[in-house]
Amino acid sequence: MNDTKERIQIVFRDIFDDDSIVLRDDMTAADVENWDSLNHIDMIVAIESEFKIRFTTAEVTSLKNVGELMALVDKKRAAKP
Amino acid sequence: MTFTEPLFLLYLVLCVVLNRLCPARGRAAFLLLASYAFYLTWSPPAAAILAILTLVTFAAGLALAKAQALAPVLAILLTVYLMAFKVALLTPSHGIAGLIMPLGISYYSFKLISYVLDVHWGKIPAEKSLLNFAAYIAFFPQIVAGPIQRPGDFFAQLPPKPVHLVNPILRIAWGLVKKLMIADNLAPAVNAIYGHLTSLHGAPLWAAFYLFPLQLYADFSGLTDIAIGSGQLLGVTGPENFDRPFTASSISGFWRRWHMSLTTWLVDYVFMPLRMASRRAGAWGLSFSIAVNMVAIGLWHGLTGSYLAFGLLNAAYLIVDTLTNKRRAKFFKQNPAWDRAGSWLGWLLTFHLIFIAEVFFRSPHVSDALWLLGHLASGLAGSGELLRQVVEETGRHALAIGLVGYLILELGERFRPDLWLRELYSAGPRWLRWSFYSSGVMASILALALFLVHAAGKRAPFLYEIF
Repeated sequence: MNDTKERIQIVFRDIFDDDSIVLRDDMTAADVENWDSLNHIDMIVAIESEFKIRFTTAEVTSLKNVGELMALVDKKRAAKP
Repeated sequence: MTFTEPLFLLYLVLCVVLNRLCPARGRAAFLLLASYAFYLTWSPPAAAILAILTLVTFAAGLALAKAQALAPVLAILLTVYLMAFKVALLTPSHGIAGLIMPLGISYYSFKLISYVLDVHWGKIPAEKSLLNFAAYIAFFPQIVAGPIQRPGDFFAQLPPKPVHLVNPILRIAWGLVKKLMIADNLAPAVNAIYGHLTSLHGAPLWAAFYLFPLQLYADFSGLTDIAIGSGQLLGVTGPENFDRPFTASSISGFWRRWHMSLTTWLVDYVFMPLRMASRRAGAWGLSFSIAVNMVAIGLWHGLTGSYLAFGLLNAAYLIVDTLTNKRRAKFFKQNPAWDRAGSWLGWLLTFHLIFIAEVFFRSPHVSDALWLLGHLASGLAGSGELLRQVVEETGRHALAIGLVGYLILELGERFRPDLWLRELYSAGPRWLRWSFYSSGVMASILALALFLVHAAGKRAPFLYEIF
């Protein structure tokens, strides 16, 4: 079962300190009040430890929205042995 | 040729007309031609350097698919090229920069670097058209002082489509008002005080402390308005640089509203890679990334001690702001009664902390800044006379016009009467809309004519033209 979205949503609610966040594919930093460049990487680190995966700088900097983030996490999870 | 010269406005009008007459397919070529013609009036050798760097970066972009390692090498070489000129400016004879000073080097180097890294990171495909790429790098409304547009954003607007002319013209007129009526009228008093710091104390130093940031904002945001308006007249809208910066109630809020095209550039290409590399290092990693980023913002303006101090001071502010952010948010959540007082105090504190940093920005040497800050309170009682003398010498009227103008600027940007006027007349009949448009255009033309006559004698360069 794919639980990527639920687990990322829990990370978002924790890092950005807002329990009302509901993820959408087209969501960007502009849609989440506390999401800015200063805590963006905190969220990335939390996702890395949640799923035991590693991102590269190129992957992180080219993400355009939450949909792309979820797709990237799915890709990394599928590639894991 | 700079933005407040009549020649620039004539050139712009000519380009807008020709651009519109040009078939859509030829417009990128036309913009390239117009941009190089503009650049050649500055210096043909500098234009040759610009062309060579453009060609090399374009070729590298195409080769990146096969040679990944080329990207960091080229990004470093371009940074070294920019630094070499900044270092040369520090020597008495200005070294290479004394022979050729490439106009807008700080702006176009950043465009070249962001293109290389965006292609390397897969954000955009390598541009196939040399014409489009060269037009992006040399685009004349942005080359003097930004805003620093990202390659993807620029290419997406090609070929440029004709736009409604009224809004860009009003924006250029507003930019000229900010520069000529506000900034240039605040400048004489600021320059006089900063020019004689060590013979002054008390009141005049307070005046310079508060006036310079207002002058800088009016000057630089005016320049940006003219750049964005000119770009829009040619069919390319550049990124915004300011969002009412002095209303910010935190340091991080201020830096999200000030010189945005530079700060977002540094966030993407300096802060984020550093933050990713140091992400396991907790608060130390975060503090280190912020410090490097803010020092880079300072030194981008020039490799001097006072720009370094400006960067370090802002780094310290921002680190404290970021590390205490969660605790403050929790406190205000638990004590909602304090929320209002908190944001008011936050605004007052941010405003003054930024103004302290701007003292270093304006001072040629750190010692001058320390003198100003150290003598604000000394001999305050009898210093009113000193301030009166400075104001008399530099023009009481100029200062009054500058200050009233600044008040109009702040109120105008806060309440945006232009937006509700537009709402009002867009609901009205056609004749009403057109009378608004035509009176707006007539007023701008009149304002332009008045200011051009006014500025003809004593044109002061924009503060951000020198970077």
